[in-house]
Amino acid sequence: MTATTTPATSAPATTAPGTTDALVVERLSKSFGATRVLDEVSFSVEPGRFLVLLGPSGSGKTTLLRCLAGIERADGGGIRLGERTLAEGRTHLPPDRRELAMVFQDYALWPHMTAAENVAYALRRRRPTKEQSAAQVAACLDRVGLGAHAERYPHQLSGGQQQRVALARALVARPGLLLFDEPLSNLDADLRERLRVEIAALTRESGATVVYITHDQAEAFALADTVGVLEQGRLVQLAGPEEVYQRPASPFVARFTGLAGELTGRATGAPHVGRVMCATPAGSLVATAMGAHDDDAAVQVLIRPAAVTLAEEPGDPADGRTAPLASQSLTGTVADTAYRGRGYDHVVELADGSRLTGVFDRRACPRGARVRVTLDPDGCFAYPASSARPTGAGQDAAPLSDRTPVEVP
Amino acid sequence: MTDTTLTPGPRAAARADQASPAGPRRLARLLRPQVAGALRLLPWGLFAAVLLLPVAGFLLVAVSPRLFGQGDAWFTWAPFQQVLSGWTAHALLDSLAVGLGAALLATVVALALAWLTERTTLAGQGVWRVLLWALLLAPSYLESLGWTWLVEPQGVLARLLGQDPVGLRSVVLGPAGVIWVLASRGVPFAYLAVTALLRGLGREFEDAARTHGGGRLATARVVLPMLAPALWAAFAIVFAESISDYGVAATLASQGNFPLLTGAMEQSISTFPADFPLASAMGWLLLALVGLALLAQRRSLRGRSYQVLSGRTRPARRARLGALRQTAALVGVGGFFLAAAGVPAFGAAAASLLPSGGKVTTASLSLANFRHVLRSGELISALGYSARLAAITACAAVILGAVAGRALARQGGGRAGRLLDLLLLAAIALPSVLLASGYIFTYNLPFASELGIDLYGTTTLLVLGYLAGALPSAARLLSGPLGQVSDSLLWAARIHGRRPVSAWAGAVLPLVAGSLVWTWLIAFCGTLLELPVSQLLAPPGQEPLSVAITRQLQGYDLGAGAAMTVVVVAGSLVLIGLVLGAVRLFLPAARRLEALA
Repeated sequence: MTATTTPATSAPATTAPGTTDALVVERLSKSFGATRVLDEVSFSVEPGRFLVLLGPSGSGKTTLLRCLAGIERADGGGIRLGERTLAEGRTHLPPDRRELAMVFQDYALWPHMTAAENVAYALRRRRPTKEQSAAQVAACLDRVGLGAHAERYPHQLSGGQQQRVALARALVARPGLLLFDEPLSNLDADLRERLRVEIAALTRESGATVVYITHDQAEAFALADTVGVLEQGRLVQLAGPEEVYQRPASPFVARFTGLAGELTGRATGAPHVGRVMCATPAGSLVATAMGAHDDDAAVQVLIRPAAVTLAEEPGDPADGRTAPLASQSLTGTVADTAYRGRGYDHVVELADGSRLTGVFDRRACPRGARVRVTLDPDGCFAYPASSARPTGAGQDAAPLSDRTPVEVP
Repeated sequence: MTDTTLTPGPRAAARADQASPAGPRRLARLLRPQVAGALRLLPWGLFAAVLLLPVAGFLLVAVSPRLFGQGDAWFTWAPFQQVLSGWTAHALLDSLAVGLGAALLATVVALALAWLTERTTLAGQGVWRVLLWALLLAPSYLESLGWTWLVEPQGVLARLLGQDPVGLRSVVLGPAGVIWVLASRGVPFAYLAVTALLRGLGREFEDAARTHGGGRLATARVVLPMLAPALWAAFAIVFAESISDYGVAATLASQGNFPLLTGAMEQSISTFPADFPLASAMGWLLLALVGLALLAQRRSLRGRSYQVLSGRTRPARRARLGALRQTAALVGVGGFFLAAAGVPAFGAAAASLLPSGGKVTTASLSLANFRHVLRSGELISALGYSARLAAITACAAVILGAVAGRALARQGGGRAGRLLDLLLLAAIALPSVLLASGYIFTYNLPFASELGIDLYGTTTLLVLGYLAGALPSAARLLSGPLGQVSDSLLWAARIHGRRPVSAWAGAVLPLVAGSLVWTWLIAFCGTLLELPVSQLLAPPGQEPLSVAITRQLQGYDLGAGAAMTVVVVAGSLVLIGLVLGAVRLFLPAARRLEALA
């Protein structure tokens, strides 16, 4: 992919179609009444890169996107796109002069226009001739697979088709910056996956810089070059998807990106080469040390589903090869088995009564069977217990533990 | 790789630096939304002051006549005592009885009508809906006049039959006639309240009752209580509309020597010297009755949830009517509309076509009355005057109503939204007679002219009165469609490069144009033939249409009055047809969306 910064020679007022710009957001803040929705958020996206902002509802991601679009006026901070300042201090460029496009959560297709008219309406900012417009609109609708539906009205299209029209409308004028406001959240699972693939392909093909918000971590990891995790208006981690998954910056990030379960215990001994030994009521295990750990300090161990594997019958004498890992296995009982096609997801109840969900194995273990689970230290994160409490509002904690686990091969 | 940086250190430090000078600024930031909210409400506050404060002043005069130089007492209950004795007490009881009767009748008829049109395969659905709209738009005194022209001595029936219909006259020009006219006027309101719920009430509730062993009767007993909110709302609306109606009080009831509260109010103001404290006391009682009706509706629903609409509700299947039932239903529905609209229309048409004297034969029917009316210039000037005022009122009502309706839809839950909601509700519940009385009273006070407000006896005041009547319902009518237009449609247009005005015109206007036009038409037609405000506020030397028509009737120039009415009603229908035709022609999108809804 070519990622070129717009040279200073380009006119600052408008951008030629197809050129992509770097987006720089600096200390962006926004409050509604006494509630601080965005708290000095800073990040930058290089031209043509795909940033996904991930966060639960109320984390400020929608407000951030609306500030980028110019629908909301930020209280402080700045937004720059290439050479142009979109917002800074008293400057607030209205949405129509920001040279960007957006795909809305509710599609926002104009119901009185056909699919083609919807797309053509967005192209008019480029002042094309009638023939150019018709050709580009047709090509764009073809590209999203709706060439045959150009003359249909939105209400005559299915949800997925409507969102494709919205996608075509956003792409047609080749804007430098594309914004996506949870575009897949109103679609069913199968359609969501197919459209996700199309969005990934089409946006990268267009070369536009993309900011995409979602609360679905699987969607975020699948789409992003960079993932930003928002928590209560603050950007708590900004990194590649692999890093967010493998080194979550906080228990919040770890929970929000999918866990099999959590255990509380104490650190036994100081961390060594990034690992720390933890004693929990369910048994002892080695985890990746996140932050400083004193000997005998309380720890919270957060376990990724991918780090858990079911071992052979418990009580079997371990062979020599697995002996070093013996301390890394816990015993438990299978509480639930769910067939997932490629194998089985198990829920395992550990000795202390806590549960690990989403434990995958190709073979089914029947409910009630005694099993041993082995834990990969790379996927177990030990946080000091003081920081392990969910920060701020406790209401986020409950749904997070129920989140669909992400499988990272 | 992307150069994405996250630097918590310096950021935290920067925040700490800012902490101290940010104190007052933070306060300002906290205050700003409230100040902005107050500023947004300011125009509405001013508006309410101009439109509603006069009424408050008028209501005060009942308890403190001296405050306005209308008597000796600073505080007194005397006007109330006066109202609660003698013929005004009679009028109060009459109004109450008539209101209850009309509300009950209208609710029952509307329920039957709604069930037949929404749940069965009744033929002629479109016709019935158009007729309901016609009933909704026609002022109540038109229906009264139609009946009056039929039954009065030397009226249409007397001359057609050759003998005076004394029996029928005593029925029509009395409680029964008044209740019927008010009830048939109330049916469209009640129908709208009932169908909204009936349409959403999926068939599953009936199916559930039937599968659990309920017969037809038992099923009805299950479903009817679920309709209770709609039925109570219908009852309350028709009751409030009926007791505050002036058109019937000024026509049918006054001729039948059957005094009603609104008529009594108008009389005590228009006789010389005007007795404002007495009229004000009657205004209080009228308001109390309206308030009571709304309160009763709320009380009856307290603690119960009737949320029957959900995403899963499937549209109800219509019951197929067999030939016999179809005929019976058609006769019933047809009979209702015949009595509600057909008979009065026949009365008006016949009265306008019959010669002023002599024997009646088919050959003697003539257009003489029409020629007389059109030549006299009287109708032309009254029509021109009223049409001009109605057009001004309708335009103002649509523009202000759109702004208020949007505010209402957007701030629905907030404090500002609730206040606006309350203001509009108060203005709707306020009987027009009370409104007009308030204007006459307040703008005639010496201090009004001392303040430089010389509105009394001007056309401006008349238009203000019309607007106070038309604006609240326009705002309500528009808040629905404007609220339905998602904000993101407008923002999508802005983001894809359109300036504010052009974005609104391209993305929002086509969606609401139909509603705007409808609202304009309703405000225009309502104002064109409006009676109570016209009667009380018409400036000297100018005669609004409704006043001219009722004067013709009182002067016993039957033919001319009837011909005027026919011309105006036909003209209004033509106007509605033309405008709606134009909308369909030039705004095809509006029509398509209408069909969708």
